[in-house]
Amino acid sequence: MKIKIYKKVIHDGLAWIVAFIWIIPFIGLLMAAIRPMDELLHGWWNLETLNLTFKNFIGAWNHSNVPLSQGTVNSLLIAVPATVIPVLIATMTGYGFSRYRFPTKRSIYILIILMLALPQQMIAVPIFGLINKLGLINNYFGLIIVHTAWGVPWITFFMRNFFSTLPVEVEEAAKIDGASDVRIFFNIALPIATPAIVSAVSLQFTMVWSDFFLALILMYSPEKLLATQRIPLMRGVYFVDWGLLSAASILLMLVPILVYTFFQKYYVKGMIGWSSK
Amino acid sequence: MHRKATFTHLAIFILPALLLICVFVFYPCLRTISLSFFSEGKFSLHNYYEVLKSRDTINLEGFSKGFPLGTLFHNLLWIIIHLPLTTFLGLTLAVYLKNVKGGSIIKSIIFLGMVMPMITGGVMIRFIFDKNIGIVNEFLKLFGFLPKAWTAYPETALFSLIFGSVWLWVGFSMILYSAGLETIPKDLYEAAQIDGASSMKMFFKITIPLLKPITIVIVTMTLLWELKIFDIVYVATMGGPGSASNVLALQMYTYAFKALNFGKSSVVAVFLTIITLAVSIPMARSAGEGR
Amino acid sequence: MFKKFTLILVLSVLLISLVSAFGFAEKLTVIGPWAGAEQEGFMPVLKAFTEKTGIEVEYKVYRFEDLVTMLPAQFAAKKTPGDLIFMSGTEWMVKNAEHLADLSDMINEGEFVPGTLVSKVDGKLLAGTFTGKIKPGFWYSKSFFGKHGLTVPQTWDEFVTLLQKIKMVPGIEAPIASGDGTGWPLSDVTEHFLISFGGPALQEDLIAGNIKWESNIVKGIFEKLVFLLKSEYFSEPAEWTTILKQWEKGEYALYFMGSWITGMVDNPDDLGVFSLPGCEGMVFGPDYFNVPIYSENIEDAKKLAAFLAGKEGQTISASSGGHIATNLGVPVEVYPTVDRGVAELLKGVQSLPDLDDTVGGEFQPAFWDQLKLLWVKPDRLDDVLKVLDEKMP
Repeated sequence: MKIKIYKKVIHDGLAWIVAFIWIIPFIGLLMAAIRPMDELLHGWWNLETLNLTFKNFIGAWNHSNVPLSQGTVNSLLIAVPATVIPVLIATMTGYGFSRYRFPTKRSIYILIILMLALPQQMIAVPIFGLINKLGLINNYFGLIIVHTAWGVPWITFFMRNFFSTLPVEVEEAAKIDGASDVRIFFNIALPIATPAIVSAVSLQFTMVWSDFFLALILMYSPEKLLATQRIPLMRGVYFVDWGLLSAASILLMLVPILVYTFFQKYYVKGMIGWSSK
Repeated sequence: MHRKATFTHLAIFILPALLLICVFVFYPCLRTISLSFFSEGKFSLHNYYEVLKSRDTINLEGFSKGFPLGTLFHNLLWIIIHLPLTTFLGLTLAVYLKNVKGGSIIKSIIFLGMVMPMITGGVMIRFIFDKNIGIVNEFLKLFGFLPKAWTAYPETALFSLIFGSVWLWVGFSMILYSAGLETIPKDLYEAAQIDGASSMKMFFKITIPLLKPITIVIVTMTLLWELKIFDIVYVATMGGPGSASNVLALQMYTYAFKALNFGKSSVVAVFLTIITLAVSIPMARSAGEGR
Repeated sequence: MFKKFTLILVLSVLLISLVSAFGFAEKLTVIGPWAGAEQEGFMPVLKAFTEKTGIEVEYKVYRFEDLVTMLPAQFAAKKTPGDLIFMSGTEWMVKNAEHLADLSDMINEGEFVPGTLVSKVDGKLLAGTFTGKIKPGFWYSKSFFGKHGLTVPQTWDEFVTLLQKIKMVPGIEAPIASGDGTGWPLSDVTEHFLISFGGPALQEDLIAGNIKWESNIVKGIFEKLVFLLKSEYFSEPAEWTTILKQWEKGEYALYFMGSWITGMVDNPDDLGVFSLPGCEGMVFGPDYFNVPIYSENIEDAKKLAAFLAGKEGQTISASSGGHIATNLGVPVEVYPTVDRGVAELLKGVQSLPDLDDTVGGEFQPAFWDQLKLLWVKPDRLDDVLKVLDEKMP
């Protein structure tokens, strides 16, 4: 008996040590953000002098040219619509694929799956040209449309898988009662699909928030830059400050970490959903 | 039971998405492909020739003289090191943390690397490997090694990025394997135990085979990530020094937006896509099976 | 369910349109790359202009690389993000000549240091010249030199001996600090060597592509650099502002930097600077600005152009420190003491354009990247020179 307990304690202890090792870089980042540069010059793990300050956070938030306050607002302005719209559209599309028969269905579906593999680089140059022709370069709308179009394939795939696990009987019954298909979708299928939708929302939001490449190509006005774009700008334009950079990175990370914390269950289910039947 | 769709149905449910995808994804793809075949206004394979010949892409001299080896090899290296490490570590951690007290907190900590924007991931990697304030050097000092600016030297720049990215990505395979482990019915293990099987045997004969579908997903997603890596390299080394840590996605970006050579950048994009499509076939097949 | 979704959708669309609508003020917009302390030095100039003419000016920060990407699209649509734009690279201006306003009537050529005004294209003066920064040479602390009995070298051999002496001073990590911004100032040091040993003409020939990087003359000069690198007289490239602090603390003795350094140190009066012996040219990077013809306030913008290029604007800029005037009418007295020394250095040498800024394109980041490689792997010189030739336009 005792041996079993010892074994468990050692096992768990080692596990916590692993966790500690994993989190060390984050601690370092935090240290760099809250301590003045001189203390860090030869190692943030030296705790002899410990002058804590929030100066870096304030500096990053109110930076003279790339304030994160503005960046966060911009990122939200993009991320919220670029999450809501594709989830709405793709949920309907996923439902459509899961419930209906129509010609060319198989080919279109395969096409959609293939798009999951596409790197953003494949559309970068033409999308720049296209958005430019539409006059939407450096316009939030342009970036939102691209993110929406980019999100629709995977969300469609995801929601279609989900809907295929739902029994059709309830819907069939409603149909017999005379309900229109649209009605059935909104009043029956959608409410049941809420957990899957939350998953899709969590993942899509995080992906859009974290995006850097599309923003890099399509947005350049200093006041419109997204939060992710401001991070590299804080390093190496003229002044680099590890403290500032660390604080900015932490602020940037906060949002997706919050999403993960609150929606963890759905977030994870969303990722596992890739392998569902 | 699939219902037959009417035009209205299609218009409402399928059309919006289809329209968006065709205009903003499918058409740009085709355009990129066509761009790759045009050089100076004429249809030609010149761009393909130039990119393949270029030392940016394949640098055979690098094998004797040292990095850079060319983006194709850099991405390949990334795959060779990163994929087995993260998959193996992920599985090990998932199994090890299965019944640990506070296991979900530990798993969340490890998963944090996945949740953050990759641009911050790049900052963290730069931070970890820094000469003065990086923990890697501090750790090595304990063993008597001298501190080194890992990302400034061509022979170590790429490796720092790769190992840093392992730290970031392990959470992904771990979480998926954890979920996969939960789906394996406990009675299988109990039955095996009754038959006198050791944990090792159970692991190899029950766990691993049953985890195959999720392994396919993990391997595919990881491969795709390794091929498309951009943000991390952009912010940590910008492909340097001397292109020693350049990757396909960054090469594509440089050709397109720095050299303004859209022909060459499209070639790189096409290569990248061919590889990613090839990689995704197993997963697409198994996804198509479940219909 | 349905209603909630539509509500969110409508709200988001409204929000975006509201926000996109903002940002149309009636004042002049000036676009420049300076931020932070640099920007503080520039704002008084703009303020003085407003006081003089009553025209309001707004300043926005854009990096050159972003401007290069976005301006073609804007110009093609006959729009411009700013009424007056500071842009680097004279090649760029020539390429975009059709989009830029002619400033000949606002700017008097005779007023400027020779070579600092952009050559006219088809009779059009495409850009005005503001103040600029020189990259004169190696900066050192006078007190440090005094303490260790070091003197400014007059010949190459004296320079090497100086480095040897410095190396032996306790506390010194390496004699010369190597800053790494995005690759400069490594490029600045390299150009200094090229100019010092190849003469000013070499710099111009390299820019024009008349001489190859792999040629014997260029290679010979690089070998001097490689010799110093291999003897460990240079430090590893490190973040240039961090290493600046370490240099101030005495961990390094010499720092090759541009004249803006005077505004960045605690003790500018302790600063001294010397060029490599025999150097007859100096990279003088004036800040060029132009007025796109699509500006909605083009007459006011031209007035600002005249002000910035003229004696008044340049005097204010020069007095803030770290900037050297291109306008000959600016008296030497307005400079802070250290800058006066730098301005003196400029006399008697030829002012040259910065190599990588002027060539730009794919070459510039490759140049920086290759130098970073050369600094840590000096024996790869041949490869580096080969790549540089490949990446020249």
